[in-house]
Amino acid sequence: MSVIDAVPVTDSEPTEDYVNLGVFGRLTHRRGWLSQHLGTAVIGFVLGYLLGHWLGNVVAGGYSYVQNSGQNNVADTGGLLLGVLGWLFGAGALNYPIAKMMGREPAEERFDPSWTRYFRYTADHKVVGLQYIFSVLTFLFTGGLLAMAIRTELLSPTSHAFGPGTYIAIVSEHGTVMMMMATSIVVGPFGNWLVPLMIGARRTAFPRVEAFSFWTFTAGYLVIMSALFYGGFPTGWTGYAPLQTQAGAGMMSYLVGFAVIGMGMMAAGFNLAVTIVTCRAPGLTWGRLPIFVWSVLATAALLTLATPTLVAGGFLGILDRTAQTAFYVNEHGGSSYLWQNLFWFFGHPEVYIMALPGFGIVAEMLPVFTRKPLFAYKVAAAGMLGVALLSFFVWQHHLFQSGINPDMRPLFMLTTELISIPTGFIYLVGLGTLYKAKIRFEIPMLFALALFFNFLIGGVTGVFLSDVPVNVQVHGSFFVLAHFHYTIMGGLVFAFFGGIYYWFPKMTGKMMNKTLGKIHFWMMFIFFNLTFFPMFIIGLLGQPRRVFEYAQNLQTLNDIASVSAFFLGASFVVFVANFVWSIFINPVAAPPNPWDSLGLEWQTPSPVPYYNFERIPVIMADPYHYSEPNAPQLADLGVGSDRTDEKVEVGK
Amino acid sequence: MTATARRHEVMTSTPEEAEYELRQSINSYWTGGRLLVGMFTFFVASLAFTYFYLRSSNSGGLWRPAHVTAPTGTGAAIFAFSAVAALLAVVGYRRFQSGGVQDWKVAGWTAVMALVIAMGLQIYQLTQLPFYPGSSGYASTFIAWAVTNVFLLICLLYWMETLLAQSMRLRSALPVGETVADSASPRAQKFRGNLESCTFFFQFAAIVAVLFWALIYLI
Amino acid sequence: MTDTSTREPRHFARMFVLWLVVAGVADALFYTLAGPHVPPGTMTTSAKDNQFDFNVLLVIALPVLIAVWIYMGYAIVMWRSTRKGVAEPVGGAVARGNKGVQFAWIASTSTIVMGLFVFGTVALINGAGSGGGEGPNPVWSPNSKAPLQVQVIGQQWKFTYRYPSFGGFETTQLILPNNTTIEFHVTSLDVTHDFWAYQLGVKADANPQLDNVAYTTTRETGSVTVRCDELCGIWHGAMYNYGRVISPAAFEAWATATQRASVANTKLLPPYALTYVPDANGADGGLYPTNVDPYSASEVYGAKVAAS
Ligand code: HEM
Ligand SMILES: [Cu+2]
Ligand SMILES: [Cu+2]
Repeated sequence: MSVIDAVPVTDSEPTEDYVNLGVFGRLTHRRGWLSQHLGTAVIGFVLGYLLGHWLGNVVAGGYSYVQNSGQNNVADTGGLLLGVLGWLFGAGALNYPIAKMMGREPAEERFDPSWTRYFRYTADHKVVGLQYIFSVLTFLFTGGLLAMAIRTELLSPTSHAFGPGTYIAIVSEHGTVMMMMATSIVVGPFGNWLVPLMIGARRTAFPRVEAFSFWTFTAGYLVIMSALFYGGFPTGWTGYAPLQTQAGAGMMSYLVGFAVIGMGMMAAGFNLAVTIVTCRAPGLTWGRLPIFVWSVLATAALLTLATPTLVAGGFLGILDRTAQTAFYVNEHGGSSYLWQNLFWFFGHPEVYIMALPGFGIVAEMLPVFTRKPLFAYKVAAAGMLGVALLSFFVWQHHLFQSGINPDMRPLFMLTTELISIPTGFIYLVGLGTLYKAKIRFEIPMLFALALFFNFLIGGVTGVFLSDVPVNVQVHGSFFVLAHFHYTIMGGLVFAFFGGIYYWFPKMTGKMMNKTLGKIHFWMMFIFFNLTFFPMFIIGLLGQPRRVFEYAQNLQTLNDIASVSAFFLGASFVVFVANFVWSIFINPVAAPPNPWDSLGLEWQTPSPVPYYNFERIPVIMADPYHYSEPNAPQLADLGVGSDRTDEKVEVGK
Repeated sequence: MTATARRHEVMTSTPEEAEYELRQSINSYWTGGRLLVGMFTFFVASLAFTYFYLRSSNSGGLWRPAHVTAPTGTGAAIFAFSAVAALLAVVGYRRFQSGGVQDWKVAGWTAVMALVIAMGLQIYQLTQLPFYPGSSGYASTFIAWAVTNVFLLICLLYWMETLLAQSMRLRSALPVGETVADSASPRAQKFRGNLESCTFFFQFAAIVAVLFWALIYLI
Repeated sequence: MTDTSTREPRHFARMFVLWLVVAGVADALFYTLAGPHVPPGTMTTSAKDNQFDFNVLLVIALPVLIAVWIYMGYAIVMWRSTRKGVAEPVGGAVARGNKGVQFAWIASTSTIVMGLFVFGTVALINGAGSGGGEGPNPVWSPNSKAPLQVQVIGQQWKFTYRYPSFGGFETTQLILPNNTTIEFHVTSLDVTHDFWAYQLGVKADANPQLDNVAYTTTRETGSVTVRCDELCGIWHGAMYNYGRVISPAAFEAWATATQRASVANTKLLPPYALTYVPDANGADGGLYPTNVDPYSASEVYGAKVAAS
């Protein structure tokens, strides 16, 4: 059909056109133990930390932030920053940027068939996607273990499992790991892995930025976790000043960590946004873009534009604690409100960073399991962009009781309630697609339906929170806690696991076990609701967040939540068991298109070749022509019979 | 690994595909440059917000006691050098577009020099302050801007320097008689896309420099 | 072929009837049975009004939740692929959208939202801030002539209260007269706390060096729990105390007695002020230089240019 397949292939050697990286090229292309990989990154982190700490003490020795504490925040900051740099250097992330200064351009990266590629700095978006999946699962389980600790403490209103200092460190670490790491980068795994395949591209626009985002993000994990060695930080994930200013050295891990994670988020969003704008295959007009790609685009816009404010806020905090400026110190001409404004100006877009990919994943799966086109596609896409835009104008709904701009409360009440309109579009889309469908309850579909159940409760309670008079009652209480767990855990995390079950066969060529999957789903669904629904009532009955003591009469409800939480935790053990079983112990080869999807990503051979598409596809329709007798062809893949014999090889 | 993966170890492109992907990378430079400016805008706007927020709250009457100011002479010099660098980048690019590769290189290296001087002055200025960082809202904001400015200057330096270095290597790589300004080779085309974005970023940086010069030293 | 496929049932009519019944019953049950017990009760005007607001929101929310649940339940039962005789879905333009449905959806959600906005704003303004923190210069205040001023001071990790109309004495117990408009002035000596007087329906952040005003009017006597509602450090979880709303006469007696009993203590306190800056008014525990007044960064830090 297209001109493309008529033309003979020129087997151009990509290296010819490029000067290689010189000494760094030798580093980059070397394989084996003596090359750059996760191990050298860790070594780099340790050496960098030591060097930075030493330097900090040289530059600002005897310059302790808290008198006689023996802690030097300059040294701690220097250690963490150089640690991150060392990590990147060790991983090989800096080879290219340095070689570039000598005018060198990299050779096209070759396919690395060894399993060790998963532990290396690589520009292969599918490898980066899988690296991200494992990392995000690690973050999620780290945060989950901390959550188990929180629920253990809350089993009893008065007797304690932890001291108050330990408890607050656990709570803060839980919130930070979950909000900043586990859920803020879901476009990392799925966006990086899927977007190029969905838009018919052979790679992302800036593959090295994509890899950089991953390695920076994981360095952020080390930095955030390093807080535990400094005695933790007491501020929760919100890091309010002046508590931030007052806190011990663990606070540096939080501030530096936010800056580092922020860089990772910006890099990931930047690369994906540009990829979607510029790297679409011919014929892939905006109107034919899979809805998941729309959601990634909206998320990427938020990642790139909202995160700089967080980095700026963290930067000012670092200056306060090292250069001893006074940004957040009221007595010295600063303002504690400044942090609250900067933080929430980022913080609210951040919560939509955690919602939109979930919507996209679910909307992408619905047509497949209902055998119907996506209902109101344009409304869905417009809704996602609308949410992204509006989310910059609502941040003060987190500050209704703070005394900041009290006369603006009606305005922020309005914008917040307005944002629930485009948010609600996902229900129009979902319910419309279910209409007169033929629903197959495969495991991904179960997760998708669960999102609709959970997020409804989360979204509606959001509207309660935005009503200022009601906010007076529930702000800062377990009600808020339940609200955002229903939106984030009930929404995004359910979608995330649904996505894993759905795309796993494509990513690994293996099928997840269905029985274990069902057990996982039902445990997770039931115990999620049993854990978090009581929290609405607990909050209404007067229990503030982040406390270790509560009223005697709330013990029953708290115990229900705690015990359910343990079972919720156990459901993830089932997932891990399934994961390990289905990949390593008893792998079952997946058919190339197990769900019968029309999506472009499923039209590639399994496993997906290094360059995704042997010929750049020409897109001729959107991927939602289900149950249409005369459906147009989705795309011209331009490979003819060649492809069929490759299909046969699957699983060998 | 299956045969499929092994077969595609090296990507093979038809000429049309190569052309299409080349267009994509050039567009990526354009879009990426704009998005990068968007990113920096939000960062810098956060600092400007900080400035105005602290100024208007004036906590404890300590926004800017006795109108302390960072050394204005040095400040003006930093601004001047940054502005000159931006101007050179823009003018050089104009010349480049009309074929004056050499002119652009001279302008570029001069801009790099100007940026290095500006950065040196900015760091020097930090050692000459008549106030302590925590003594007022203004003092704090100044420190944040100074550090940001150093970072911004490093970004500009890095981008310009890598382009210049690349152009030198390119000269020998291109067929005789062609220059990066007119060669149709993919590398030259990408180079031009990159340079366009870089110049755009310099213009943005000039606006930021003006804005903060006014905020810190003038008003 | 079964008759489901020959004659299409009227799905929407079925769902609508079901919805009407379930939502009606749920709303009625909630409003009559649960509504009056919804926290925080009716001890003050703001508590009562906020309870009413919550109930109205829930009465609107329940039908929405139930509509979605009924639809989803119906879809899962009727359109599951495993049901005998489920029709083959129809794709194409009809399934891709429906102008009427889309318009109705957007119109109805927008109407609800705008209604809620108007409702919330009216409640906020009529309620003089609904018991929430209104900053130092409240835009909405009750039209009571002589509200009782009570200052709430948060510090790590306790709340104390000062009564400026009784010589500014300070107590650890929040005692309030019934049937009186109270004007809380909330501030902090260190980090940000949040004054949450649960039964009073009052919540306001306590920020250092800032005065955050909140109003309410007491309606019933009884006891009050005060909790800190903003993370303020390791003992945040233990930062609570109690108070009471008592009859005006009893309050008068208590206040004058306490004022007299604490004369000696009050003298040691910094003079009553809306905010307390360490060292400027002696609230520093002697940790800041005492010879510098008003506070001057230059003298504290020996800055090279004197502060004005
Ligand atoms: C229907 C749309 C939504 C509305 C109207 C809404 C409204 C609100 C409001 C008013 C608050 C402030 C509560 C308070 O602290 O007083 C809040 C808190 C929060 N919301 Fe939402 N929300 C919505 C959707 C979401 C979504 C989609 C997410 C995340 C996926 C989310 C996550 C959060 C989080 C994390 C907080 C608490 C932050 C904290 O204090 O730590 N919300 N929401
Ligand atoms: Cu928000
Ligand atoms: Cu507290």
